[in-house]
Amino acid sequence: MLLQSTVRKPLVLLLFVLFYSTTYAQTAKQIIAAVTKKFGLVNDYSAVINMQFDIPSVNLQKIDGKVFYKKPNKFRIKTQGIVFLPKQNPYFAITALSDSNSYTAILSGEEKINNSTTTIINVIPNSEGDLILGKFWIDKKNAVVLKSQWTTKSNGTIQIENFFGTNMAYALPDKMLFTVDVTKFKVPKAVAVDINSKSSPKSSNASGVKGTGKITLNFSQYTVNKKLPDAVFDETKN
Amino acid sequence: MKALFQMTPIELFKITTKPRSYIGFLAITVIVLLIEFAFYIDGKTYLQFIMQTLEQSFTIQGNILNGNLICFIILQMLIVQMPLMVALVTGDLISGEAAGGTIRLLLTKPVSHANILMAKYLAGSIYTFLLILWLGVLALGGGYLVFGHGDLMVLKSEELVILRDGDILWRFLGAFVIAFLSLNVIATFSLMLSCFTDNSIGPIITSMSVIILFTIIGTIDIPFFDQLKPFLFTTHMIIWRNLFDNPLPKSQIITSITVLVGHIILFLSIAFYHFTRKDIQN
Repeated sequence: MLLQSTVRKPLVLLLFVLFYSTTYAQTAKQIIAAVTKKFGLVNDYSAVINMQFDIPSVNLQKIDGKVFYKKPNKFRIKTQGIVFLPKQNPYFAITALSDSNSYTAILSGEEKINNSTTTIINVIPNSEGDLILGKFWIDKKNAVVLKSQWTTKSNGTIQIENFFGTNMAYALPDKMLFTVDVTKFKVPKAVAVDINSKSSPKSSNASGVKGTGKITLNFSQYTVNKKLPDAVFDETKN
Repeated sequence: MKALFQMTPIELFKITTKPRSYIGFLAITVIVLLIEFAFYIDGKTYLQFIMQTLEQSFTIQGNILNGNLICFIILQMLIVQMPLMVALVTGDLISGEAAGGTIRLLLTKPVSHANILMAKYLAGSIYTFLLILWLGVLALGGGYLVFGHGDLMVLKSEELVILRDGDILWRFLGAFVIAFLSLNVIATFSLMLSCFTDNSIGPIITSMSVIILFTIIGTIDIPFFDQLKPFLFTTHMIIWRNLFDNPLPKSQIITSITVLVGHIILFLSIAFYHFTRKDIQN
């Protein structure tokens, strides 16, 4: 009897924990499903884009251009000049999350971002790929991702902050702020043909030092679901 | 003044009759075409090597290898060497006449010594201008022709400055003006030395030696040399690069231009002082 009682208690507790975590995992996936469903309303879009850069060792002026997106993962920014863009397209994560069997989602609490209460969900891919860990701050009320952080094998940590306005109905942000890990830019003077420059003692020791670069994308004049032709994504055509 | 305008074309003609006057043009042509050819063949690999650290974090989009970048690289490589080409001609302007025995004949003309020296200086300046113009045509014109237009990625060892296409041409024009002033410093320096000797080798070699010495001092990062650098005209000759900074370091550029013009006036004044008092004895 005593043995039965001592075995039953932990078993009940274990069942409770398993039930509780399963329920929470399902809830996390449900939240993500709501987000992907909302973004799924967008088959394609084009918009005017203004890009601003704050990258260590790179002095790059802001530039205007056009941006195009088409389901599932076609994305292109078209400009007249040189631009530095994040390695992944901004919808890389949402596209990856559309297959709910490919990851494990864990709820990790709540946090306020710009007066909105967000639910934090950690996502671990089930199969080995470039993405190691994803962390999403989701506004459940509007079913949008306000902030996401991806840890990738190839590019370190990338953080994206979304600021929504007029196109909340399609989960299309007015502003995106990318924060990317950057290795300090340094090339030999002779290679850069910069023989007359004087390197500061501070910077000469800083080779390889990592910093963070910020890229701000400001979107305007969205045109959604107008059946964009595939030709606009052809990089060889300007 | 009239005599000056009459004498200048004659002095320019004298320059054109000397084979050494074409060495600079030939050297510029060969070097620029070689660089353009090399970049046409292998430029993308060169840029990939430079950009590899940034390409780990970003996708770099746009036409990096363009005429503006080629012209900038050529200017960086050549402007250090061009003073030697100028000194080769301007160091011979007075001493060449002395060595050839024509200086006495020249000075018997009913033209003042000052006008003769000024005509030689103007002829040397026109030669320098033509050299810069030729460099501009080949580097910028040739660059646009082969590689097209685009934003300029100013390569520095620890920084990249990217300037938009529409914001570049005036910077190149400014750079060529500063390059002209810089080479004019060399022209007047070698002309000044030329007034003191009776053979051409002395002023040419001395000019080259001074340029090499000053350039070495300017390149080595030693605190003692850092104190000397502001007093060397070669330090201010590379100020053209600051035209490609963003924001523009205006006061630094104005200071350097003032120093360059000051050197031209100083060297010319010494040359005038000596040449107008020069007693030709043989």
